[in-house]
Amino acid sequence: MNRHWNSYLNQTLSRRELLRASSTGFGGLALTSMLAQEAAAASATDPLAVRQPHFPARAKRVIFLFMHGGPSQVDTFDYKPLLKRDHGKPLPFARPKVVSSETFNLLQSPWAFKQYGQSGAWVSDLFPETAKCVDDMCFVKSMYGSNSRHGGALLELHTGSDTFIRPSMGSWVTYGLGTENASMPGYLTICPTQSHGGANNFGSAFLPAPYAGTAIGSVGIASKDARIPFISNKETPREIQRMEIDYSQALNRKQLETTGHDRALEGRIESFELAFRMQSEAPDLQDLSKESEATQKLYGLDNPITEDFGRQCLMARRFSEKGVRFVQVSHTYKWDQHENLKKDHSQNAAEVDKPIAGLLKDLKARGLLKDTLVLWAGEFGRTPTAQGSDGRDHNPEAFTIWMAGGGVKPGLSYGATDDYGYYSVENKVHFHDLHATILHLLGMDHLKLTYRYAGRDFRLTDVHGNVVKDILA
Amino acid sequence: MLSQRLIALCWITLPLLAQEDGPAFFEKNVRPLLIAKCLGCHSATSQPIMGGLRLDTLEHTLKGGSRGTSVVPGNPSESLLLKVVMHTAGPLKMPPGPKMRDADAAVIAQWIAMGAPWGTNPVVSSNTPQKKYWSLLPPAEPTIPTVKNQAWIKSPIDSFVLSSLEAKGLQPARTADKRTLIRRTSYDITGLPPTLEEVQAFLNDNSTNAYTKLVDRLLQSPRYGERWGRHWLDVARYADSNGLDENLVYKNAFRYRDYVIAAFNKDKPYNEFIQEQLAGDLLAPTEDLKKQFERWTATGFLSLGAKMLAEDDPMKMQMDIVDEQVDTTARAFMGLTVGCARCHDHKFDPIPTADYYALAGIFKSSHTMDNFKVVAKWHEHVLAPKEDRDRLAAHEAKVEAKRKEISTLTGAENKILAEAAMKRVGAYLLASGELESYSKIRISPIETEAGATLIPAASFVSGNAPKLLERGKSNAPKDSKGPYFAEYEIDAPAKANYQIDILNEEKGFGTADIYVNGVWMKAGAGPVQNRAASPDAPGWSYVAIVPLEAGKNKIRLEHASRFPYFEKLLVAKHTLPQTPLTIVQVATKYQINPGFLEQFMDYFDRSQSAISSVLYAWEAHESKSLIAAWSSPVAELFKSSPGQTKEAIAARYEQLFQESLANGKDSKDPGLKALYDFLQEKFGPFRAPDDSKRYYLTAAREKLTLLETERKALEAATPDFPKAMGVQEGEKAEDLAIHIRGSHWTLGEKSPRGFLRVIETGNRIPIEANQSGRLQLAQWLTQKDHPLTSRVMVNRIWRGHFGRGIVATVDNFGRLGDKPSNPALLDWLALRFVEQGWSMKAMHRMILLSNTYQMSSDLNPRGEELDPENILLWRMPRRRLEAEAIRDAVMSSSGALEFTMGGSLLTYKDRQYVANTTKGSTVDYDRTIRSVYVPVLRSSMYEVFSAFDLPDPTMPNGDRDSTVVAPQALFMMNSSVILNHSRKLAEKLMADTSLDATGRVKTAYERALTRPATNQEIDQALTFVAKMQREWKGDELKAWQSFCKSLLASNEFIYMN
Repeated sequence: MNRHWNSYLNQTLSRRELLRASSTGFGGLALTSMLAQEAAAASATDPLAVRQPHFPARAKRVIFLFMHGGPSQVDTFDYKPLLKRDHGKPLPFARPKVVSSETFNLLQSPWAFKQYGQSGAWVSDLFPETAKCVDDMCFVKSMYGSNSRHGGALLELHTGSDTFIRPSMGSWVTYGLGTENASMPGYLTICPTQSHGGANNFGSAFLPAPYAGTAIGSVGIASKDARIPFISNKETPREIQRMEIDYSQALNRKQLETTGHDRALEGRIESFELAFRMQSEAPDLQDLSKESEATQKLYGLDNPITEDFGRQCLMARRFSEKGVRFVQVSHTYKWDQHENLKKDHSQNAAEVDKPIAGLLKDLKARGLLKDTLVLWAGEFGRTPTAQGSDGRDHNPEAFTIWMAGGGVKPGLSYGATDDYGYYSVENKVHFHDLHATILHLLGMDHLKLTYRYAGRDFRLTDVHGNVVKDILA
Repeated sequence: MLSQRLIALCWITLPLLAQEDGPAFFEKNVRPLLIAKCLGCHSATSQPIMGGLRLDTLEHTLKGGSRGTSVVPGNPSESLLLKVVMHTAGPLKMPPGPKMRDADAAVIAQWIAMGAPWGTNPVVSSNTPQKKYWSLLPPAEPTIPTVKNQAWIKSPIDSFVLSSLEAKGLQPARTADKRTLIRRTSYDITGLPPTLEEVQAFLNDNSTNAYTKLVDRLLQSPRYGERWGRHWLDVARYADSNGLDENLVYKNAFRYRDYVIAAFNKDKPYNEFIQEQLAGDLLAPTEDLKKQFERWTATGFLSLGAKMLAEDDPMKMQMDIVDEQVDTTARAFMGLTVGCARCHDHKFDPIPTADYYALAGIFKSSHTMDNFKVVAKWHEHVLAPKEDRDRLAAHEAKVEAKRKEISTLTGAENKILAEAAMKRVGAYLLASGELESYSKIRISPIETEAGATLIPAASFVSGNAPKLLERGKSNAPKDSKGPYFAEYEIDAPAKANYQIDILNEEKGFGTADIYVNGVWMKAGAGPVQNRAASPDAPGWSYVAIVPLEAGKNKIRLEHASRFPYFEKLLVAKHTLPQTPLTIVQVATKYQINPGFLEQFMDYFDRSQSAISSVLYAWEAHESKSLIAAWSSPVAELFKSSPGQTKEAIAARYEQLFQESLANGKDSKDPGLKALYDFLQEKFGPFRAPDDSKRYYLTAAREKLTLLETERKALEAATPDFPKAMGVQEGEKAEDLAIHIRGSHWTLGEKSPRGFLRVIETGNRIPIEANQSGRLQLAQWLTQKDHPLTSRVMVNRIWRGHFGRGIVATVDNFGRLGDKPSNPALLDWLALRFVEQGWSMKAMHRMILLSNTYQMSSDLNPRGEELDPENILLWRMPRRRLEAEAIRDAVMSSSGALEFTMGGSLLTYKDRQYVANTTKGSTVDYDRTIRSVYVPVLRSSMYEVFSAFDLPDPTMPNGDRDSTVVAPQALFMMNSSVILNHSRKLAEKLMADTSLDATGRVKTAYERALTRPATNQEIDQALTFVAKMQREWKGDELKAWQSFCKSLLASNEFIYMN
């Protein structure tokens, strides 16, 4: 139903044109998707126009901190005293039917756990700074997925499907709500992974292209050098480019005189104006030198270990503040400790701990945390049993994620795993449930946010998903 | 939940209904409901009977369908039928579409509560047999309509189109002018603008058949296959990499692409085209090898999909791949979403799960994958004569045998090493105790000190490492073999211990062994698995403390396969009170194996004196912990002889372990058994060390080296033939059981291999027990009376010419797809297609020569008013060029585009990972070849392709979006493609000395927009160029480039009228 949909921005349409547009073409898309009739007229012309949610939202935007590789729950937030007691013993119950490789006996955590804050949440020594924010965080300790490989699990986390290429959650969110900054894409992903599904993890699949995540840089590119594709060229000074565009636009307007009204042609004229605005807006938002020294320090920009991830987090705050709907930052692909658990988990945590704490504190201080949902997650957890001598294997059966702000209960630890942290056992939460909950926090009913493609109404949650009501504030 | 709602429902309805008797209640309330809502799909006459459930007799209703009983008389809350209509049975919700009214559900609840009384007769649906959906009935020869404006009719196509226009009171647009026509037709057939000469020739040709000649010339051009082959590649979800999870290169996918392009150029009949893609390997044998290879290559269609190659559940992987094949085949050739029936009967189209598994069985019985390991391997046909293929297979068997020989040898040798070590646990314990005491001593690198000797990396006196070491490289000279080493000479003033440090050593790929005067001192570290997580720390680091003789000494760095980068060594006299030894030094001292010793250290590091450890007695002694806490069964064995000294404990352990080796395996003593198990632990201290080879006896090592050399030589000698992705018959042909809810863990009844039962063709095509059924599937699809195959393809062709199909949802001809805007026209075209031998070129010709195609795109207020989307075609729609056409047009405007056909731009090896961004990749995206030959790497797609709506190559997509978004404008403003080619165009203008400024403007317009500039445009352009020349500080080329950029960015450039 999305064919012939070709106007990006065109705010000058008459009411008659709007009505017509909404009865056909792109309007058809809007009608099949969102129940809100009144949204149809606006979205008929601008796919990224702000749209009203189904019900009042607790969160207006999302910052997703993605820990690629699979952080170990039993070494970070899921404290398992029995793991220490029974170190070296065989796992006293059956392993899953499908495992990614053979693991051996139970392996205790090399890190000590302490309780923090009013809520008394357990955090290991890996996250001393983040630990100070636990009273603002909501832990879900009973996550589970169904794929034990990075590719499948990344896709499940990002798109809900490990079988087919489907739109990513950021795309669904942007499709549902539009964006509040007309000069920027609605969905940005900073230094995303190129492996394990790569761009499928932020792609729009069958949703129209404007809902795809726009990548700023990619893995392997320092976040300070990360840029939106084609955002600038070194040859053409800005004023000269403006003149070139003006000349081209004059040709376009002249052509319109002969063709008569044509939404696509008019839309394209607008698209150049937006691109030109984006060209100055995006570098401006990425320019962190505009932040105070104190803020830069808060995110760890003064330390080479934390600088890169700190920049990602600070950029994310700046984008969110300026109305970008969904921002993802990635710590890629570092958390996969089949071996060197002790050394490498330490290094990984050291890189992100301070920036994450900085982001939470900064959002709170600016009053942004109340309607910004921060999500911290990897694609799966790790086995409490040992792989090799100093490692843990993938474990989709149980892992911990946390959220903060945006309508989740602060200081809550929800759900539980077994005595060793191998399986989620209490209040289990699947990716589909997480997705349903995120949409709910954003004011959307996951059953109603649909898109008709190839004869089917698709949802982020497919035919699954339950909102985890207990974690809503 | 259900029962609460039921109570509420019954409370509303009961008073009204209570008085009636059973059969009367059924006749009055239930029968009409069943007829209205259920019997269409659930009666004896339903085609097919969905879910195997019939609701037309009481007997069938009670028996239920594939999910068991539907009604439990007297017990509404246990009755599936009620749950399903109330949407409380999970995902199964009936009837399709909006939920049944509460009042109706209450009737059913009441009826079940009454004990499900039945009437006297079976219930017969009023409209049985259910009328088939239009697309499932064969096309019928339509009457060509008569129209008022007979003069406009050039072809029956025009009659169908004009008739629907006239019915609405609309008139077709005028015929387009010749310039518009040639630009439109050239882009449409070849994806390229016409050249200046072609335009001129066409304008000068005043014959009545000038346009016919143009069309025929264009259809003969090899550029046609490049354009229309690409349209098919959208449907075939073509890509050059896997992309779903593990992004491996499909190095040989291009052969399928080239096959498709050639097929279109040859005008291969569409029925043959289908048969080759689904069953090329099964067609009647041919002596013609080239033809045989072509047919194998064609089956790449089935293999090109995105697959989960890393999936721990091999059966799930296999069924997902089969699913992708079923879904792609059904969408591509029939426009049906059969994939929906994997988990449940199709909700909207008459496709039951049984039909899905009938088709799935065909693909399950075919061989697409060579294995389902992590990472799995797709099959490739070897495009070589039989004797060569046999030779290759024999050779591969030899390589495999050699591998086996190697693993047998290493297995035996590793066993010898471990068995020797297991007898000396006491020594290992004492040695690890000594190492543990050293771990508390921190030695810092010296960095600078008077008397220290600095040795630059290049200053070695002998060695085979390169003098100039490079970071990130293997530093292994070409055609050389390891080990790689460098020996440095150092003069020591006196016999003493010296400290060695190293500067800026690269650790990522593993570090070197250290030998001093021929004695091994320290083992190099292995490569770092996750380099992102463990970056190298720069600066000096401490290596070891070693004894040196007075006078000349030799320090040797050695690595088996590469030589790690470093800058300098530092050697200085060791002056600290303690001398911590390396693992190698300690192992030498105790005459034990450094590899196992290191693994012992690992064990203690992990264990941290865990009370469950079998070695707790040792660890507790060392850590002064309480032995009373010991929870291992081994504790019992220490009660009688509590060791006081560590030597005593070590001796006791050695004795106990030896005992366990002798009889611990089957011992009743849990302690001995635990000790025995400890020795055998797969990841325990006695597993084979990574570098176990170095500890083998010389003879074994030499034998191993020899075998490895032989293996490598064999591998290198593997004959290299061209390969193509594709499928062949499987090892075994078998029917699949229905997978309940799509899961292979829950199987239902078997469904014999076959096709969609709802589609009836004249010929029955049986599948033999030993055949997969692919050939029969292809034959069934290409039956002349198959209702979908011809319709779907002519509709795709129509979509290509008009930007919109007669059925707008070109990939969905099911109930949820759009209805045809002109059904008679569609049927007429479909029948002609088959009649003309499934010739695609004949179909193009027929469409292009119609008046309908030759209309202008002029706006018409009445058309705008009555048919704003131009569905009835009152004008030619204005269309944006596709990604490939834009790139090709930009490159051809500058004259740079080359027309080399076929081949691959990929420099990767087959199955190599492409995890990079387009920036980091080795693909030369700026190469001036036609875009169809530019690789399509899934999930790392060329930015220009994704910006301009190249469909995600995941599932068939014959209806590309045509968006207008800001990233496209950014591409026009800043991409290297635009900057380079606008400069080239400007250079071309300036290089032509025959042109004055006006001439340059004229040429630029003709090259970019294929039309002359008007006088006003020339004036404006000259003014603009003059102004830009001032802005560019007199740089004339830059000024003309600015002008060219503006032309290329204009709407006129990327839209065709």
